[in-house]
Amino acid sequence: MSKAFQKLVLGCGLLSLAHAAYSAAQHRTYLRITEQEFTTLPLDIILQAVISLAIIIYSILSLKSDWKLIHATDLQEKSSWETLSNIQSFYTFNHRGKAIFNPHYLQPAPVSMDSLH
Amino acid sequence: MSSNRVKTRETKSGEIIAYSESAVRQNLINVEYVKTSLASLAGCTAGILGLTGLLGFIFYLVSLLGFFGLLIVKTGSNWQKYFISRKSLLTNGFLGGLCTYTLFWTFIYGMVHVY
Repeated sequence: MSKAFQKLVLGCGLLSLAHAAYSAAQHRTYLRITEQEFTTLPLDIILQAVISLAIIIYSILSLKSDWKLIHATDLQEKSSWETLSNIQSFYTFNHRGKAIFNPHYLQPAPVSMDSLH
Repeated sequence: MSSNRVKTRETKSGEIIAYSESAVRQNLINVEYVKTSLASLAGCTAGILGLTGLLGFIFYLVSLLGFFGLLIVKTGSNWQKYFISRKSLLTNGFLGGLCTYTLFWTFIYGMVHVY
């Protein structure tokens, strides 16, 4: 299921829980007006509250369940032999073949020792 | 968080398993997030239902067990790929969650049933 749908379900669950709370408050007011003793809530409010709690927890868990693999070897299982031999410190950008096989190669001027100081 | 250090642990059979620490921590953070929201929302529900006394604490235990069962169903049979220990998922942060639960329980109980 997509994340947007999960968020929609989460919002519906929260609304349903709020509605159950409002119903419970209304029931309490009704009992107070008719001067009856409070024992328990009606069964439909109890069921609505518990079911919406279950829906909310399930949707939060689904939203947060992008588990990572914890074994260190799992990360390396995808790499191939080509990536193993790819060692950047050993890259070669200058080669003497450039000087030997290029007919138009100009030898750079020798660096005098004075310029190094 | 981005540190990709490797933590090793020895099993009972003497075999050494290497764990990626960042992945372990990320999974535990996710579980902790869901557990905190569970504690607050279960507290809200207990307040709505008007539970008092020991019944409210029993409701906390039941909702925690329900969450644990849901987590087991979600991760399935390969939970060892994601968590080092399954039992610590249930017991970690029990008292902190209980504090959050009691806070929301008393608040919503007062809002719905007292006023």
